[in-house]
Amino acid sequence: MYASRKYLAIAWILVLPALIIRVFTTIYPIIETFRISLYEVKLLQGIREFVGFDNFIQLFQDSKVITSMGFTVIFVVGSMIGHIVLGIALALILNMKFAGQKILRTIVLLPWAMPMVVIAMASKWAFNNDYGLINDFVRWFNPDFNLDWLIHTNTARFAVIAVDLWKDLPFFAILVLAGLQFISAEMYEAAKIDGAGPIRSFISITLPMLSRNILVLSIFFTMWRITSFDIVYAMTSGGPGESTALIAYRVTTEAFTNLNTGYAASIAVVLFLVMALLSWLSMSAAKRVDY
Amino acid sequence: MKKWSSFFMAGSLSLAVLAAGCSGGGTNAGSAANPTDAAGSGGKDEITLYTIQSTNPNFQAWLDEAQEKSGVKINWVAAPTDSDTRQQKVSTILSSGDSSVDILEVNDEMATSFKNAGWLEPLQDTVLTEDIMEQLPQGYMKDMLTSAKGDVLGVPSYTGYLALWVDQKKLDAAGMNSIENKEDFINFLKATTKDGQYGYGGSWEKTYVFNEIATFVNLFGGDYYDWTNGNSREAVKFMYDMANTWKVTPVDQIADKYEQMNQKFIDGKYASVFMWGTGTDYKQANRYGPDQIHMVNMPEFANRSIFTDSWSYVLNSASKNKEAAIRFLKYAASEDGELNGWKNFDRYPARADVAANEAVTGDIKEIYTEIQATNEVRGRPMLPQTMEFISEMGTLFQNYIQDKITLDEFCVKAQEAVERYQ
Repeated sequence: MYASRKYLAIAWILVLPALIIRVFTTIYPIIETFRISLYEVKLLQGIREFVGFDNFIQLFQDSKVITSMGFTVIFVVGSMIGHIVLGIALALILNMKFAGQKILRTIVLLPWAMPMVVIAMASKWAFNNDYGLINDFVRWFNPDFNLDWLIHTNTARFAVIAVDLWKDLPFFAILVLAGLQFISAEMYEAAKIDGAGPIRSFISITLPMLSRNILVLSIFFTMWRITSFDIVYAMTSGGPGESTALIAYRVTTEAFTNLNTGYAASIAVVLFLVMALLSWLSMSAAKRVDY
Repeated sequence: MKKWSSFFMAGSLSLAVLAAGCSGGGTNAGSAANPTDAAGSGGKDEITLYTIQSTNPNFQAWLDEAQEKSGVKINWVAAPTDSDTRQQKVSTILSSGDSSVDILEVNDEMATSFKNAGWLEPLQDTVLTEDIMEQLPQGYMKDMLTSAKGDVLGVPSYTGYLALWVDQKKLDAAGMNSIENKEDFINFLKATTKDGQYGYGGSWEKTYVFNEIATFVNLFGGDYYDWTNGNSREAVKFMYDMANTWKVTPVDQIADKYEQMNQKFIDGKYASVFMWGTGTDYKQANRYGPDQIHMVNMPEFANRSIFTDSWSYVLNSASKNKEAAIRFLKYAASEDGELNGWKNFDRYPARADVAANEAVTGDIKEIYTEIQATNEVRGRPMLPQTMEFISEMGTLFQNYIQDKITLDEFCVKAQEAVERYQ
């Protein structure tokens, strides 16, 4: 009894530094953000007044925030569909046995290893009509092609999603590939003996066996997409107009450029609640899917 | 015993990890050739400068001279090159009371934002004495660097203009000698627009385009704060016509900041642009000169008008080295300080008496003298919530240029923005 208490005490002491760090770097900022969201804080004008839920009412009437929320939904859904569909396809390709397979797996991961800000700054040039390599490539097939991707709402949004996919898809695929390698070859052999073709095997064996893996990955990748801001910060500055301003970018702009910290906190609180809800839903779904 | 030693080691390791997180950030020390009297005790003769010039090839030469003549050892921190990041970082330093930086270089947008926030130290009693103030552009000092309480908060490091730059080869090809008025300007743009090249190039990204909107508003005799004014409307309509009716400038420049615009200008895609500075980018690309790209006087529309700007040195109120910082600022405001900037950074002196100095020579001096003599020189229109206002106006303009809103809607919303951010 004494020994177990002693070990428990030692365990607590060892965990304590991590706990203290967590409290100061996570719990305290969350509580403070909730508190500030109830104030109108405009640092430049020296304003700090308690306004209750006014900031929350305002944000649902603010066309910039509504546009940001809309694009964030498009960005997350579009990017995640791309990640899942193309990620599984890429993982299946990487799972095939062919010469140079290991080199290909390494090369495929390269974009993921690069910082998003660097990629986004390069992408700003890549999608430029005059200097961009995207249009250069298209002009191999259509020499008269002219499009400045980042000036139209739809093409700018497509470009942002495409760059996000280009960067993180390989990582998603590699993680799916890890799941693929846990599926026993015997299951495929048994299915083959029973007359199942490749498509049937994919639908009846691969997808079900990967579903939990994909679901868990999707939770994390979705959360990362929701809090993503660096891609539009460096690539489009939220433009044209506000059409590619992700919600996390809006929080950053309000907090650090406009110095409206109270309003920024209220958007952050809504974002936090949405993410908490999504996490809970996703985790509940993950528990139900089990092969 | 073994258990306790393991426990002790683990505890020590945890403390070490905690302590590691508390170590300070890095700054760059000044030149090794510091003046011997500058190496002060306890940082008394040292300052940290937050600078935008650290990537300039002549920065070290400037730094050496500044240290030698001010008698202050200057550590420096490089400001980010991206304007948004720079603004956010400076805002964070000042608003949080961070004392790790003593002197900061701020542009007009930042100066206007911060001047009434109480984060900057007044300089009128210590640095900007009456004799120096007399030599600085009065309107600019009042609009940009003087707080509502009357405190003067910054030392302008140069005088710059948002001037018209033309490609002389294209001007010659258009059969023109100069661009004197609106008709000349339109004729030049139309004559030089062909084969995928445009008469005018802009930087119409939403946080940059404000400079050009305000320039045209001034040229047309409008008022940037009054969008019921017919001249203001006419100016924006003119920009719309340039892009959509005459097609002498591309709509796709709404994604461009100065780096993209300048590259296109250097590559010959544009015949003219409005641009700040003294042509450093064009010089580096071997495209600068009287027969190539050079600055010309503004054309006269309803007015002949031009914007001036500067980057100013300001003193962080939270600084713990104010004495040394003031010595540096006195140097920066002196003739020596201004000439150092001219010599190493091509920055035209802000003080009229220094600009008249025979050490300041060349074509820039000639054109600056002409501009000063013939133009209405103004500071840019800025409101307390500067960046918010700039961004909102830029967004509205982009929507108008892309036919998402009408001119009437633009003017109504622009007026609402003026009233909201005033």
